[in-house]
Amino acid sequence: MAINVNTVYQTVLLILNKEQRGYMTPLEFNKIGTQVQEEIFTTYFESLNQQLRVPQTNTDYADRVVGLDEKMSIFKEFETAVPVFVNGLATSVFTLPGFGDAGNTNYTQAITSATQTFTVPNPAVLTYTLTGNALTLSNDGGIPEVFLNGVQLNSNAYSLSGATLTLVSTPTPGNKIILNLYAKEFYRLGALFYTNGAYPTQELERVDRTELYHLLGSNLTKPTSTYPIYVYEKNQITIAPSTITSGIMTSYIRKPIAPIWNFTVGANGQYTFSASTSFNFELHPSEQVEAILRILLYAGVVIKSPEIIQVAAQQIAQENQTQQI
Amino acid sequence: MPIPNGGLITETNRQYYAGAQQFYLTTGGNNLTFTSTFDTNLIFGSSDPSNGQYGLNNFVVSISANAQVWTELTPAQSVVNAVANQNGGVASANITTTVAVAGLRVGMTIYGAGITGNPTAAKITIVNGVNITLDKTIAMAGAATTPVTFQFDEPFTMVGNIITVADTIPNTTYLKIHLKDSAVQANRGSYEYTKLHDVIDNFLIAYVGAGKLIPSVKRTDVIFHAKRGLQEFSYDTLKSIRSQELTIPISLSLAIPQDYVNYVRFSFIDSRGAQHTIYPANALTTNPYSNPVQDNLGTPTQDSFDSNLTGTSQTEAAWAANDPRNVSGAYVQTNEINGIFGRSFYDGAYGQRYGLNPETSQKNGWFTINERNGTFDFTSELKNRLIVVEYISDGNAYDLDAKIPKLAEDALYAHISHSILASTAQTPEYIVQRYKKERSAKLRNAKIRLSNIKLDEIIQVMRGQSKWIKY
Repeated sequence: MAINVNTVYQTVLLILNKEQRGYMTPLEFNKIGTQVQEEIFTTYFESLNQQLRVPQTNTDYADRVVGLDEKMSIFKEFETAVPVFVNGLATSVFTLPGFGDAGNTNYTQAITSATQTFTVPNPAVLTYTLTGNALTLSNDGGIPEVFLNGVQLNSNAYSLSGATLTLVSTPTPGNKIILNLYAKEFYRLGALFYTNGAYPTQELERVDRTELYHLLGSNLTKPTSTYPIYVYEKNQITIAPSTITSGIMTSYIRKPIAPIWNFTVGANGQYTFSASTSFNFELHPSEQVEAILRILLYAGVVIKSPEIIQVAAQQIAQENQTQQI
Repeated sequence: MPIPNGGLITETNRQYYAGAQQFYLTTGGNNLTFTSTFDTNLIFGSSDPSNGQYGLNNFVVSISANAQVWTELTPAQSVVNAVANQNGGVASANITTTVAVAGLRVGMTIYGAGITGNPTAAKITIVNGVNITLDKTIAMAGAATTPVTFQFDEPFTMVGNIITVADTIPNTTYLKIHLKDSAVQANRGSYEYTKLHDVIDNFLIAYVGAGKLIPSVKRTDVIFHAKRGLQEFSYDTLKSIRSQELTIPISLSLAIPQDYVNYVRFSFIDSRGAQHTIYPANALTTNPYSNPVQDNLGTPTQDSFDSNLTGTSQTEAAWAANDPRNVSGAYVQTNEINGIFGRSFYDGAYGQRYGLNPETSQKNGWFTINERNGTFDFTSELKNRLIVVEYISDGNAYDLDAKIPKLAEDALYAHISHSILASTAQTPEYIVQRYKKERSAKLRNAKIRLSNIKLDEIIQVMRGQSKWIKY
């Protein structure tokens, strides 16, 4: 579920070229597309805050809070936080996922994407082993895209676990499998949960350092393993009581991955869209119109066309107004 | 319904009554895990009965081939015998056995009379046929071969109510987790209560959220108000379930219980087991909080560390030596004015003593609370008596206490709601008042419910109304 990057680019070019106003290069499109996607993505949080103050209808498809949640759900992640070890012992300080490979302290999110290509052997096999950067990103829970002979596979047509890519259907020998992996980038921390064996999972409460000392000093509200709390500082979480050194799960929002419209140059010098090296907009399909309008708005600036800017800005304003009534 | 089926009861009848949970393994194996679903959390010290920590366990794990004859899972159950080749007394982490031995597993500890240099119990890390690698070096001295045994020092472990059995369990075996009697008894009657953490979770789900009167609240605030509510309810609404049976020593003093907040009743137990209330000596005597040693001018004196010198209480000494019959008037000595109230035999004879003073006319004994020493002090006739101290705590002393009777659960929700709304800025006053009334009404209901008034019992009491009252 995403917005096809080629559809957006072609639509933008179509509108721009309708009256021979100008042309937007793929490089410009990729930069502006990234900017627009971020813009739309960041509005979700303020919109959600506004909509939570307004009574909602629980009719299907009409609840705006649910609608917003659906758009945000694409970027929601739930992963294990890894403890920081001191002298070989786990501490109650945890590194959040999405900040790089916690098991390797030298790794600082240097790898943002990796591609690994496999050729289906004869006889064909279902499993393929990842190596190098692709393996690192896979272990970090990177977002995969798999292309079989240039055609992107649905996410239920394969599974990726650590070093192993497993296809559901046997491919044809000689076909090329391209696996693209993109690093997840942490955006906002959600709730933290503590699981210890078969005990009920508990949500951790976030407090600031001032509160922490008051809480630790209070007999009634002192944190326990039933009601743990945490402080979030320097991209790390410190949990109280300090006896908790494992079993922390994190829900968080990651940033959208930048859209890429990539191409190959044809015999006549024309740009031909290359799906296997491109990356779609991750936004919800309902954002397609909004994305195109916003790109057009920036395109108007690039090609110095006030008319485009005006029309696009009006459309965006009208849409926003409708969403907030 | 003996099997939990989605209701509030999550234990089977067997778990509740017999304290047993059974598993059947069609396919055995090692390092298998078993999840306890008792309401009682498992407590684990050691799975080796010879280990001092074993006494901490509140459960036993047993296995059986037929679910009739059970054998407790101990290190002895995991023993595997082997014969090791000697290595010339040279310490090494690698040993060999004369033949490959089935049943050897990683994690087993090696034992044997011929082993030297094994003070910390070496454990198997790799088994490859006759070649065994240990995590520490040992030496095999003496004869060409040495009989050795391997066993799991801890045949099972438990973390978070999940038991992991290290040893191999055969196919078609039954495994049983059996709670000890004390754990079973502690859990009985627990359906009468709701645990405080359930109350807190339920409150956050049902009363807090967008579109509700409390849109957001810190969980620590809810915990605070829930615990404070439990404390308040413990003082005047909830049943007093705390009591201790004690014998009064020759010192006539007993330490105040650790979780004591206030007393309900002191009573001594007679030879027939009947209770006789012991009364407080409120107006009769006192336990001074401080007994400074005075100089000739009456000024308190200090030691070389600037602390006040204190002596023993003369008041307490006199009260301890007093015959309580002096208080009740039961003590009669002719021709003398005696007793605390100056009564004599002749008072009655002259008609000057009209009836009894009911407050002091009792022979069950007196007690005082000595805040200086943290003791309950009793009068001398109670020496060596068996007594029962009934008292209230605040419901927060132990984790097991953190529960509320279901009859008062709604009152606690109302208490938390009111406390949060009343302490939240910009809450309209009418909302605060509404919740104040709701809290009050629900607390009253809870008190009535918990006062346990039963119609049949009232009828039995009221049958006394047909008695003639004679003057």
